[in-house]
Amino acid sequence: MMKKRTYVRFFLLLFLLCTIFYPLMRMVCKINWNDFSKLMSSLSFRKALGNSVLVTCLSTCLSVGIAYLLAYTIHRTNIKHKSFLKIVIPLPMLIPSISHGLGLMTLFGANGIFSRSLGFNIVGFPGVVIGSILYSFPVAFLILSDGFSYMDNTMYEVSKILGFSRWQTFKKVTFCYLKKPILSAIFAVFTLIFTDYGVPLAIGGKFNTLPVYLYKEVMGLLNFSSGTIISLFLLIPAFFSFLFDLLCKDYTTVSQKKYPLSKNKRRDRILTLVTYGILLFVFLILGSFVYYAFIDNIVLHPTFSLTHFSYVFENHLLTYLGNSLWISLLVSIFGTIISYLIAYFTARDGGHKGMHILAISSLAIPGMVLGLSYTVSFHNTYFYNTFLILVIVNIVHFMASAYLMAYNALKKLNSNYEGIAKVCHIGTIHLLKDVLIPNTKKTIREMFSYFFINAMITISAVAFLYNTKTMPLSILITNYEGNLMLAEAAIVSLILFIVNLVMKGIVSFLNRKEG
Amino acid sequence: MANMQIKDLTKTYKNKVVLDHICFTVKDGEFLSILGSSGCGKTTLLRILIGIESCDSGQIFKDEIEITNLDTSKRQMGMVFQNYALFPNMNVLQNVMYALQLKIKNKEEAKKQSLEMLKIVHMEESIHKYPHELSGGQQQRVAIARALVLRPEVLLFDEPMSALDADNRLVLRKELKQIQKEFHTTMIYITHDQEEAFSLSDRVMVMHEGKIEQIDTPNVVYNKPASAYIKHFVTEHLKEKVSSIEKCTGIDL
Repeated sequence: MMKKRTYVRFFLLLFLLCTIFYPLMRMVCKINWNDFSKLMSSLSFRKALGNSVLVTCLSTCLSVGIAYLLAYTIHRTNIKHKSFLKIVIPLPMLIPSISHGLGLMTLFGANGIFSRSLGFNIVGFPGVVIGSILYSFPVAFLILSDGFSYMDNTMYEVSKILGFSRWQTFKKVTFCYLKKPILSAIFAVFTLIFTDYGVPLAIGGKFNTLPVYLYKEVMGLLNFSSGTIISLFLLIPAFFSFLFDLLCKDYTTVSQKKYPLSKNKRRDRILTLVTYGILLFVFLILGSFVYYAFIDNIVLHPTFSLTHFSYVFENHLLTYLGNSLWISLLVSIFGTIISYLIAYFTARDGGHKGMHILAISSLAIPGMVLGLSYTVSFHNTYFYNTFLILVIVNIVHFMASAYLMAYNALKKLNSNYEGIAKVCHIGTIHLLKDVLIPNTKKTIREMFSYFFINAMITISAVAFLYNTKTMPLSILITNYEGNLMLAEAAIVSLILFIVNLVMKGIVSFLNRKEG
Repeated sequence: MANMQIKDLTKTYKNKVVLDHICFTVKDGEFLSILGSSGCGKTTLLRILIGIESCDSGQIFKDEIEITNLDTSKRQMGMVFQNYALFPNMNVLQNVMYALQLKIKNKEEAKKQSLEMLKIVHMEESIHKYPHELSGGQQQRVAIARALVLRPEVLLFDEPMSALDADNRLVLRKELKQIQKEFHTTMIYITHDQEEAFSLSDRVMVMHEGKIEQIDTPNVVYNKPASAYIKHFVTEHLKEKVSSIEKCTGIDL
């Protein structure tokens, strides 16, 4: 048994080294450093870098602010239909970021539904900021919401007894507990926006950002060396975010006393209004897809029609959907198994710190950088043109979060199970099969759906790696967008949304059934 | 039932000596308590005895056969943990019979033996309940049944009652003594509770900073403490308790 365990551990470690470490090293080794100074002196590069920093800083502040407001409303007010809101708020995460940009285009773009009557459009800087907020705030909301739910009320009682003012209580208690979640949310959102090219591609117009610059360098000019140098810039915030997560200690306690909600009708009413206002805007964008998908000749004579649908279906939509489903299923199955096994070794089998760091290191690698490193490392191999490379790149890209879910769930289980197993002669496989897996079923389902949903919508990780036979559905959005076929891109976004909604529905149904 | 001999056991963690040349014996069917404050090395000693952890040097013998490097599952020893460690997805009966069923590969027989064992620990009426539906005392009874059903020759306890309330402790203490009489199992019991150690054991071993301070019958340890530490932290504490009971009840103990 010991031997089998060692083999499995060795295989997992090898997998991590080959799929994360090796491509990154290959990519860095292939940099032509002459391009570095060329790039630095290029005005358009410097402009793109400045734009990226500006957009990211502003969007991050607003996005985390909105997320904080929503999380506060859910956890600290008597707003009605909380469970409904908890389901609805993260829904924008079910479509690719480019779709949010396209949604904004349809409403507020150069020829948008509203911009025609309003007399102005938001293409460029404002569009990119709004679009970035739209797809990133649910991520911050989930992190902050988690932070709020773990806060221990005993500390509030203590601060009341000590006679702290509201500001002092916020400073000493709330912020102390939420420091890590707030900073985590800021880092996560910053990284997300800084490395995203979907929104600026869709609604940026002439407003260029770094990821778009990288995309154009690689896809348009096939300039891999410059691409690699740009990707190093994209790695910087992600790397700091990774370091922060690794080093920062959490203050949340296991035994918590629930926070009693105070009655304040005015506060509740205002925040209800704000919450539904935000959601209305978000779903207006999603709703515009439905409108766009069914309307022909939108600028001159809008009429109900199914021509866009028939066009998309005639152009092999089902083939690409099949590709996406096939890739996502494989990613979910193997990603869940691999990350669960790694988590078993790191959380239950005495540490393996190196393996833990390797497993979460993919958090620090933006999808585009990962995709580019795979392109640079494998483009001359047979592996390059296969489904396998798409499956593996997706597994690696989304592994860190799924791994952390498994790691946390396994860590929470009684630490003496392995001792009991040893004493009672229960083998590792039996322990996994009969004890650990049944007690972490919900987490496993969450991991599965996390892999599935993200593999369905990712564009950045696969943008450089697909070919005509293996092309996933999400790429079709970029293609249609490139040809200014917004209705067709909207239909694809809608289909991705529906598929992911079904997956989410199945998982929450199964989890609820179990209670 | 088995005897044990521990020779010169040493364990160091990050330059800190946790066990410092530990030597003692446990007789056949004896109930030995290891008493000490937290951090004295008693849990580490127990984990090394059962093989979950390894020692730096020294030897462990069971019935004169060396088991220092023997696989845990082959030592024929059982262990009851402080936090029960019952499997939450299995009911009481499944928890007790699971390991036995894997061992003897006969479900019916495993069920029969497990039901018998659950009767002994007075849990026969709760066999279909899940751990979260049981009190701490009940969970610990199930954990004891799970350990006993595999018929270990030596049973180790790692502060099994520290999470229980006073009433439950008293009841479980009595039952444990009863079980030991019935099964004649050699028992090594770790605790930081002086009362528990003195009331349960044939002999008490007091540990302090990785060393054995004294190992003798409760009577001798109580009346002739071998060191200032024992006098301070063990006997004086107990004497205080005894005198307060005497004061309250008027009975001369």
